[in-house]
Amino acid sequence: MGTAPASRDVTSYGMGLAAPLALFFLVFFVAPLLQLLWLSLHNDTAALHWGFGQYLHFLTDPFSLGVLGSTLLLGAEVTAVCLVLGFPIAWLYQRVGPRLQTIIILIVLLPLLTSVVVRTFAWIVILGRQGIINATLQSLGIIDTPLKLLYTQFGVVIALAQVQMPLMTLPLITALGRIDPNLDDASCSLGAGSWRTFFRVVLPLSLPGVIAGCTLTYAAAITAFITQSLIGGGQMLFMPMYLYQQASTLQNWPFASAISIIFLLAVLAVVSVFTTLGRMSRGYGGA
Amino acid sequence: MIMNRRSLMTTALTLGAMKAFPGLSYAQARPLVFATFTGSWEEAHKAVLVPAFRKASADAAVVLDPMLSVDQIAKVNAAKANPPIDVMLHDPGPALVAIGQDLVEPYPVEKSAYYKDLIAEAQEPMGPAPFFQVVGLTYNPETIKTPPTSWADLWKSEFKGRVGITNLNSTLGTGWLVEIAKMRGGSEANVDPGFKALEELKPNLAAVAANPGALATLFQQGQIDISPGNFNAIQILKARGVPVEFVAPKEGAIAFKTTIHIVKNSPNRELAFKLIEASLTPEVQTTLMNPPYLIVPTNSKVKMGGEIARVLAKDTAELKQKFVFQDWKKINEQRSAWIERFNREIKI
Repeated sequence: MGTAPASRDVTSYGMGLAAPLALFFLVFFVAPLLQLLWLSLHNDTAALHWGFGQYLHFLTDPFSLGVLGSTLLLGAEVTAVCLVLGFPIAWLYQRVGPRLQTIIILIVLLPLLTSVVVRTFAWIVILGRQGIINATLQSLGIIDTPLKLLYTQFGVVIALAQVQMPLMTLPLITALGRIDPNLDDASCSLGAGSWRTFFRVVLPLSLPGVIAGCTLTYAAAITAFITQSLIGGGQMLFMPMYLYQQASTLQNWPFASAISIIFLLAVLAVVSVFTTLGRMSRGYGGA
Repeated sequence: MIMNRRSLMTTALTLGAMKAFPGLSYAQARPLVFATFTGSWEEAHKAVLVPAFRKASADAAVVLDPMLSVDQIAKVNAAKANPPIDVMLHDPGPALVAIGQDLVEPYPVEKSAYYKDLIAEAQEPMGPAPFFQVVGLTYNPETIKTPPTSWADLWKSEFKGRVGITNLNSTLGTGWLVEIAKMRGGSEANVDPGFKALEELKPNLAAVAANPGALATLFQQGQIDISPGNFNAIQILKARGVPVEFVAPKEGAIAFKTTIHIVKNSPNRELAFKLIEASLTPEVQTTLMNPPYLIVPTNSKVKMGGEIARVLAKDTAELKQKFVFQDWKKINEQRSAWIERFNREIKI
């Protein structure tokens, strides 16, 4: 890699410049987080009695654990859909002319330019009983009675995948753009087929982008309160809604705090798995 | 000193706010802040209540700060000594919470010119009810030709997969469950029969919406054809051309008191009183009863007219007969347990 002394200097520069942001985070992120932790370590809603009661309640309650599990699973499903659908778009982007590239970038970015609420309502219109999908299938005679798409896990996954897609596609486009196109030709001239080239050359080299995209999509999907509640409805409970219910409707702040701390730790665990993979893949890609 | 969540929050927030905005310390002369609800409530209050108040108070400045009841409570709780809100508006459940947490002042009943004219149910000494919200059956008249007449109609086999409800996070959802329990022999203290009835309703359920607003839009999408619904929310949809109708079921429409309160330690107590007085006047209530607002009045001097007279009640006597009021003190005691149970049991 680069020269050692230079890289050491670079890291020591940054500290002073980062101080304002660090202070901002300290006051508006770390302090409230500590308060949250403090609150979660109380057994009663008035926060007078210390104890681990809220955590015990959550961790011994199959229902609460089920909510956590289904939320983490939802994130995995959305991330998988985004990866499978987003990769070809990013791949295509690297292989078309500049005009088409502009169009692709526009299509990828377009969802980011409208509010999440608007995008989610569009999905209600698409997935509803008289929505676009059901109307089309019915007019083609494929189904007699409308399918139930809204308020299902399937609906939530599809809607979230579309809403979060840019977070996957943009890092992928960057990662694929960094791969030297000659490597493709080299692989082919050495006798590898296109699939083999893809799996042995392109995919490994794009792994940093894949992992960055997965981390972003995953984190965004599991915390997407609006889309989850509008498409999933009132009976599909995910962690954000569970939290809201406890904090807002029931004013049970200690339990809500415990839920958020547990959720935070669970997400951190998943994200750190991604980052570890990322570090490993960087070694792989650089080799 | 005993530290608890609130004192800590209050101190932290006050210190932080004083540091960040030094002007706050001298902010005695801030305008009257009225926390109304969002959406049609805000529109109605801006157009009718605020002008009436300003006329009665020599053009005093007033700011509308629309937010949910629970947020109003959290905000006042965070700064009890110098509350950022002077007048709060509440559904029955949150109203009792606010009173229980000592956030509101008793209404100066003896000073009030209109309090005694309110119908008995609206006379709340901790904050009178200037409006009622009414929950009944809403249905799509294009797909349901014979109007439903009873809550029990939701269980009819012809509505398989056509019924919508909300979960218990909302006043509407909780109030409706209590009413269903009552229909089957339960009460505010015993909603078991209600949960059993919900179990039987499952084949008919097309949607359990996250909130009443989301429920109303499902009519627009044709996702549901019949549901318990809020009279005012339905009028808004109707005005936009969505095919929906409201009927009061024969068991009685559920009436929620929307109460209005003076916040404890408000620096604008006198103006707050004037605003609340304005909301109780027959003039304001009559204007709000007429289109496009259609808000049910509580002052017995108001002569019912229009859509409200047609669908709900022609006069106060009929209103009392047709409306069901619920005991929210009892409901609040067990509400969290019900929400938990609903979370676990209602999966469709």
